[in-house]
Amino acid sequence: MSSRVSQNMPLFIMSGVLLVYGLIVQTGALQPVMEALKTHKTMDLQGIMCLVIAAIGLFVATVNTVRAPGNTLADRYFLNVVGGIVMLLVLAMVIRWYAEPAVKIWSKAMEPVLGFKIYKILNLNYVVLGLLVGVVMTNTIGIPKFAGPGVKCARFVLKMGVIMLGARYSFAELAKLGVYSIWLIGVFVLGTVFLVLWLGNIFKQPRTMTGVLSAGMGVCGVSATVAVAPVVKAKSEEMAYTIGTILSFGILCMFIFPTIGKMVGMNAVQFGAWAGTGILNSAQVAAAALAFDSVDIKTLKVAEIFNITRVLFLPVIVLVLATWFGRDSGQKLSFKTVVIDKFPIFIIGFLVLFFMSSIGVFSPPSHYKGKFIDVSYNDRSQLNGDERATLTKAIADGKFTGLSEEQMEAVNDLDQQHQIAGNYEDRQDKSLFDEQGRARMTQLEGILAAAKGKVITLDKEIQTVLKKAVKQVKKTSKTVTVLTDCMIWFFAFGLIGLGMQITKKAIFQAGGWPLVIGGISGVTKATLSFFVVLWLVKDVVLH
Amino acid sequence: MSDDIKKDDQEQAEERALSVFSSEKHEDLTALVFCLITVFLVLAFTKWFV
Repeated sequence: MSSRVSQNMPLFIMSGVLLVYGLIVQTGALQPVMEALKTHKTMDLQGIMCLVIAAIGLFVATVNTVRAPGNTLADRYFLNVVGGIVMLLVLAMVIRWYAEPAVKIWSKAMEPVLGFKIYKILNLNYVVLGLLVGVVMTNTIGIPKFAGPGVKCARFVLKMGVIMLGARYSFAELAKLGVYSIWLIGVFVLGTVFLVLWLGNIFKQPRTMTGVLSAGMGVCGVSATVAVAPVVKAKSEEMAYTIGTILSFGILCMFIFPTIGKMVGMNAVQFGAWAGTGILNSAQVAAAALAFDSVDIKTLKVAEIFNITRVLFLPVIVLVLATWFGRDSGQKLSFKTVVIDKFPIFIIGFLVLFFMSSIGVFSPPSHYKGKFIDVSYNDRSQLNGDERATLTKAIADGKFTGLSEEQMEAVNDLDQQHQIAGNYEDRQDKSLFDEQGRARMTQLEGILAAAKGKVITLDKEIQTVLKKAVKQVKKTSKTVTVLTDCMIWFFAFGLIGLGMQITKKAIFQAGGWPLVIGGISGVTKATLSFFVVLWLVKDVVLH
Repeated sequence: MSDDIKKDDQEQAEERALSVFSSEKHEDLTALVFCLITVFLVLAFTKWFV
């Protein structure tokens, strides 16, 4: 009993600290600190999260102390793993609510001395900080014994993050990206596979090794390695070498890609396309995209679309490698078995959420990261009495000068209809009505841009009214916002755990020929895709 | 035959070293189920019952 108490002591302590912290947050005593760190908007979330996790942690620690650990399902999937999960969550909370804001403030304070923001140059956001904490912890003090099983949930939680990402896509958007991505990805996936096979032949490496490495380097890293291993009869150490090579190369990319992307001034779409093509592991693609821009999720979305498109090539690659490996394979594996059994189910999960999103379950089908434009008649979209009076008076006084015919028409219509909308008489034809409303919104945005650029002169008061009118028709789906929050927490949790799997041994395992072949093919792919993306992918791919 | 069994055991042990789940398929399916539950709860509290 006493040994069980000491075994569960870390969980008791962590849960106790969370409980106390949650209660302090509830009293509002930490509000000044949070305001200084600019995390005050998360106050309610901080309180609730800490109390709920503390309650679960205390319950599990008590059960594990009173009762001897068994080998039941509850033990394996719940009681054993909660310790590690709570530890990763505590780390994620400290990083997201304290370390990242503190680094930002410190970086800003150091700017006059250094001349640049360290935060931006080194991409020290919660993603990189989380990974670094994981890597440092596992290579110094090691993963504590009580946390071992829980840390193994990282890959699982990262997959949940990828599935949740599907809720942010809609088919209309993917269709816009399709032409570029499918060609780009297809050429690079197959090109890399053949390059690795050719290099393996040149350097006289075993066929099993080059087979599994080509899939890992070409498709999506670890899951492709696992999927292809039985087809080319790869040994476990060869899988380890492949995974080691991919992860090591990916770690370098994760830090180098965002820096290069920022140096050459890539936009969100270009960087997303480049990271999605050049980086192998899906978690590392997400990490690089978030490191490039953690506020505008557009980068992450594009990177994931490219990454996911690449994963969809897995069946093709499996077929190519099975053919290449030929009849040497003693083990009889039908193509159907390999594809059906090995195709990652979490990618199907991503597609399920993507489908739900596309048919409008979370938000209107045309939404982009939960944002959509609603120009239908709606009381909440109307200007109030004062705003309308200001607008009517401005038109009567001839305050709008230098506007195009369409812009003036949009202003007059706003005055008449009290909100941005289509023609009243066309209200039954929804698509026409929507089109007219959107066109008017674009005209009003044009007026605001012209006023901002000092092309026309417009009173501040009138600008405020127009801004309000535009803002009123731009809606955000709360459902998608909350689902995105869940996704960010899954990624934060998973990336710390991923960092903990990167041991010095795993990095050194990539040494030798696999690293040379992987390095050559990886650098070739990253460089070629860099130029192709800069040349082909424009911002207009996404609206 | 015994070699095959040994190999299966080894594969299972390797999988266990990476994950708490007995196979990647179980891991993926559980992730999918958890996500669908999360989506259902989020929809319930942000769309259906608000």
